[in-house]
Amino acid sequence: MIFTEPMQQVVAVVLDHDTDAVTKELLRLGLLHFVRITDVDRDIGPQVEKVTPHVAEAMITEIRRRIEGFFAMVDDRPPSGADLKVEDLQAVDLEETTKILDTLAASVQTIRDRQSACQQEILRLEDIERQLQMFGNLSEVVEARSQYSYLSIQTGSIRKVLVESFEQALGEIPNVKIELGTQDNQALLLLITMKRDEGLTNRILDKFGWTDVHLPREIVGKKDQVQENLRGKLELLKDEQEELKSKVESLIREKRPALEKMWTNLRLNELYARVQSFFSKTSRTVIFSGWLPSGKKPVLAEAIRRVTDGRCYLEWHQPREAEQPASVPVQMSNPKFLSPFQMLVTNYSIPEYGTIDPTPLVAVAFLIMFGLMFGDAGHGAVLLVLGLLGSLLYKGARSGVRNLLHLIAYCGGAAVVAGVLFGSYFGMQWFAPLWFDYHGVVSGHGGGGLVTDVYGILVITIYFGIAVIALGLVLNWINCVVKGRWLHLIFEKGGLIGGWIYAAGVYTARYFVSHDYRQLPGSGFLVYLIGIPVLVLTLKPVLEYSLHKPRKPFTLLMPVDFLMEWIVEILEIFSGYLANTLSFMRVAGLGIAHVSLMIAFFSIAGMLSGPSGGYTIGSYLVLIAGNVLVILLEGLSAGIQSLRLNYYEFFSKYFSGSGRAYAPVTLKKKKE
Amino acid sequence: MNAKLRTRISKILPEEFIRQLIHSRSLAESVQMLAETDFHPVQRIYEQTGDIKMAELELMRKEVEIYLELEDLLEEDVRGFVKTLTERFEIESLKNAIRLWFDAKIRGRSIENAGGYLLRRPIHHSIDLDGIINADTLEGVGDLLEGTPYAGIVREQAARVTEAASLFPLELALDRFLYARLVEAGEQLKPRDREIARRLIGVEIDLQNVGWLIRFKHFYSLDTDQALRHTLPGGLNVSVDLMRESYASERADREMSALVGKRYPELSTLLSTKDQVKSTARLTMIERILEQILALEVKKMLAGYPFTIGIILAYFILKANEIRKIMTVLNAKFYNWPEERILAVI
Repeated sequence: MIFTEPMQQVVAVVLDHDTDAVTKELLRLGLLHFVRITDVDRDIGPQVEKVTPHVAEAMITEIRRRIEGFFAMVDDRPPSGADLKVEDLQAVDLEETTKILDTLAASVQTIRDRQSACQQEILRLEDIERQLQMFGNLSEVVEARSQYSYLSIQTGSIRKVLVESFEQALGEIPNVKIELGTQDNQALLLLITMKRDEGLTNRILDKFGWTDVHLPREIVGKKDQVQENLRGKLELLKDEQEELKSKVESLIREKRPALEKMWTNLRLNELYARVQSFFSKTSRTVIFSGWLPSGKKPVLAEAIRRVTDGRCYLEWHQPREAEQPASVPVQMSNPKFLSPFQMLVTNYSIPEYGTIDPTPLVAVAFLIMFGLMFGDAGHGAVLLVLGLLGSLLYKGARSGVRNLLHLIAYCGGAAVVAGVLFGSYFGMQWFAPLWFDYHGVVSGHGGGGLVTDVYGILVITIYFGIAVIALGLVLNWINCVVKGRWLHLIFEKGGLIGGWIYAAGVYTARYFVSHDYRQLPGSGFLVYLIGIPVLVLTLKPVLEYSLHKPRKPFTLLMPVDFLMEWIVEILEIFSGYLANTLSFMRVAGLGIAHVSLMIAFFSIAGMLSGPSGGYTIGSYLVLIAGNVLVILLEGLSAGIQSLRLNYYEFFSKYFSGSGRAYAPVTLKKKKE
Repeated sequence: MNAKLRTRISKILPEEFIRQLIHSRSLAESVQMLAETDFHPVQRIYEQTGDIKMAELELMRKEVEIYLELEDLLEEDVRGFVKTLTERFEIESLKNAIRLWFDAKIRGRSIENAGGYLLRRPIHHSIDLDGIINADTLEGVGDLLEGTPYAGIVREQAARVTEAASLFPLELALDRFLYARLVEAGEQLKPRDREIARRLIGVEIDLQNVGWLIRFKHFYSLDTDQALRHTLPGGLNVSVDLMRESYASERADREMSALVGKRYPELSTLLSTKDQVKSTARLTMIERILEQILALEVKKMLAGYPFTIGIILAYFILKANEIRKIMTVLNAKFYNWPEERILAVI
C-alpha cells in the first residue's frame, strides 16, 4: 500500500496452433499489460514478424463506435463490460454488420427527412404568422395584399357541404382557412396560402367551385381567429415532429437486443485483436510479453501451461532488468475506501514505479486540511449526508463521479470531527469545544482555551505545514534510497542537506519568535546549523559535473557556472521553503473566513430580529441562506485549497509522477 | 477572461475529430457525434427537427451570445473593437435578408420558407428583417434601415444594384464598411493590442481581397483595374502589385514565394504545388496560403504575451474556423458528398 505494487515481466513462447486458446485465456484473465517483444529485446526484431489478426482492430472499433452512436441517439449506454464473456466470442462478419447498420441508418435518416419536411411546413406557417403580425387586422392584410410577394390571401365562398372535403384537399398545402360565416348554402371563407402554391391552390379552388367574394372590413378583420388557426396547425406539426423523434427512439430500442449482441461480439473481437496485435511470430511459434503484478505470476503461468498442455516457454524478468525502467507499469493497490484519494493522486500523475504511493498520506493530510478550513459539525454533517445520498443515488455512475461523492462524504466527516473540536454547529456553540473555541477566538472573546487569538490559529497552521513538509522530505529520502539516487539524497533541495537547512531555519525562526523578535541563536550555532550545509552544497555542481557521462570538457568559465548554480540553489532553498511553509497559513485564512462569514450572517439575522429581540422569519431566512452559501462557497474553497497544498507543497517534495498506469487488456473495462 | 477563453480554445475540436466526422456513414450519425461536444445544440435541434439549417442557425445564435457576453465583460477600449467584430453577424444577417428580397422581388423566385433561417436576434441595431424581405424597392429597404449605419450604404448602392442586376456592389460596400470600421476600431486600441489587431485584420483583409478576386475572375470577368478598385486597403501580406500580377498574369508566384520564404518558412511546402498554370488556380493557392498564415498568426498569439487582445481574436478566429468546418461537413453529408470531395473543401 505504501509502495507501488511489485511487478514482473513475462516473455512467453507458445506454439502457433495454440495462439487462439492462449489469446482467449489471456483475455479471460485480463492480467497482462502488453509490451511488444521487439521493445523488450531489440535484437529479436529481424527474427520475428508481427501477427496479423484476422480482422483489423481499427475496423472493428469503428463499427463498435457506430453502434454506440445509435445507442447515444436514445441516451442509452452500451452494454456493461462486466457482461462480456470470452465464451461468447464468435467470428465477426464486418460486411454483414455494416449492411445491417447502413439499413438502420437509412431508416433513421428517412424519419429525420420527414421531420425536416415537417419543419419546412412549420417555417412556412411561421412566415405567414409573422406577416400577419405586421398588420392590425385582416382587412388591412387583404387590402395590402399586393405588398406580399409570397402570401396569397383570398376571400370567397364554396358550398357548405363541401367544406370538409375542401379542407382535406388543401391538406398538403400550408394554409390558413377561416370560416367567416354562411350565406344560403354557401360558406364564406378566408384562405391564406403561399403564392408558390398558387397553381395547386387554384386547381383545388376551381374543383370546389370557389367564387371570389369581396367581404366588408368588419367581417374579415378577425385576426385572432386566424392566429388561433395557425397556432393549432403549428402545434399539430410540432406534435408530429415529436412523434417522429420518438419513432427514431422506438426504432433503435426495437433493434437494441440485436445491436447489443453485435456490440458485444465486436467488443470481444476488438479485444481479441488487440491482444494479438502484441504478438510476434516465427515460423511455428508465437511470442508475446507483458507486465503483471508479481502476486499474479502463478495464476498466469498455470493458465498458459494448462491451455497449451505445457507446450510453452515462460521467462520471468524483474523490473530492474528492464531496458527502460520508466516503462514498467504502475499498479497502485490501496483499499477500496481510499479510492477517492487515489483519484486525487492519479489526477496529478502516476507515481514512478517502486516509489512511495502517497494515497494514504494524502487521505490524512487532505482531510486534516479540509477539517481545519471547514471546521463546523453542522456544515460537515450536511456534506456527509449529501455525499452519502449522492453515492446511493448514483450507484451506477462513472467511477470518477462516485469517487467525488465519496470524497464529499469524507470531507463532511472531517468537518464534523473538526467542528466538535472547535464547538461549532451551524455557527452556533451547542456543545463546549474539545480543543478551542474558533468562533470565540475570531470574534475576539474566546480566551481560556489553548488558543486565545488569531495568531494562535496561524501558528497552528504553520506547525502543521512544517509537519507536512518534513514528512514530504522524509518520503523523498526513502524514495532516493529505494531508487539508489545517492547524489539526490544528499544534495537535492528535498535531500538531506535541504532538510538540514530547513530544520535549522525552523529552529532559528522559533528561537527568534520566542525571544520577542529580538535575538537570533548564537553565531557559532548558526555556523553549524546553516553555514556548514550551505558550504557543503558547493560540492553539488562539482560532483554533478564529475559524475555526468559523457563529461563535457572543462573550461575556465566553469567555476563561475558552479558558483552561480550554488548561489541560485541556496536562494531557491531559502525562499522556497519559506514560501512553502507560509503557504499553509491559507488553512488559517480559510478557517477564519468561514467563521467570519457565519458571524456576519448572525449579525444580519440579529438586525432583522423583532422588537422583543427574538428572531423573525426574515432572520431565519438569512441564516438558512447564509448557511447554504457558506457550505457551497467555503466547501468548494476548502476543497480546492486542500488539493493545492497537497499538490504543490507536499507532492513537490518527493513525488515523481513519471509512471505509466498498469493497463491490462481485460474484459472488465466498461468503455474506452 | 483570459482563462475562460483559453479553456474554450482548448475545447476546439481537433482535426482527428473532423476526419472522423467526415468518415461517418450518414448525416444522422455525423450529427450524433457532436452530442458530447460544444456543438451539442446542433445535435439537439437536428434530433428535434431533422433540419440541419435550423441547427446551424442555433449555432450562430449561440456564437452571437458569446460575442455579446464578451462585450459586457471587457474593458472599454477593447469593447469597442469586439463590438465591431460582433457587427459582422448583423451585417451577415442583413445581407441574407436582402438576398431573399432580391430573389423574390428582382428575380421573381420563390423564397419559400427561407425567412425562417434568418438570425432574428437583435445585435446592436434593431433591423426589421421581414420588412426588408417584403419591401417593394431597395430604397424601401434603406428606409427600413433608418437609424442604422447601413441605411446610407443601401441607398447609395441601390442604383448600382439595379443597373448590374446583382447584389454584389451592395455586399461589397457592406464588407468594405465592416473592414473600415474594424481598422478604425483597431486604431483605438492600446499600442500592443493595436499591433496584434492590425496583423490579424491585415491577414483577414488579404483573405477577403483574394476571395473577391477569385469571384471577379470566375463570375464577373472584370478587367484588372476594375477588380483592384473593389479591393480593400490595409492587407498585411498581399500587396496591390501581387494582386495585380496574380490577377492578370498566368504565372506570377515570385512575390508570394518571397513572402512565404521570408516571413513564413513553415509554409514553403505549400508553394511546391506544380498546378499553378491558371491565374485562378494561383489565386486559390494564395487563398490557401493565407488561411495557413492566419492559422500561424493565431498560433503565435496564443504562444505570446497572454494579456492582450490576441487571445480574444485567436478565439474568434479559431471558433469561426471550427464552425465553418463542422457546418461544411454536415451540409456535405446532407448532399451525400464523397469523403474526398469534403476533404478537398475543408
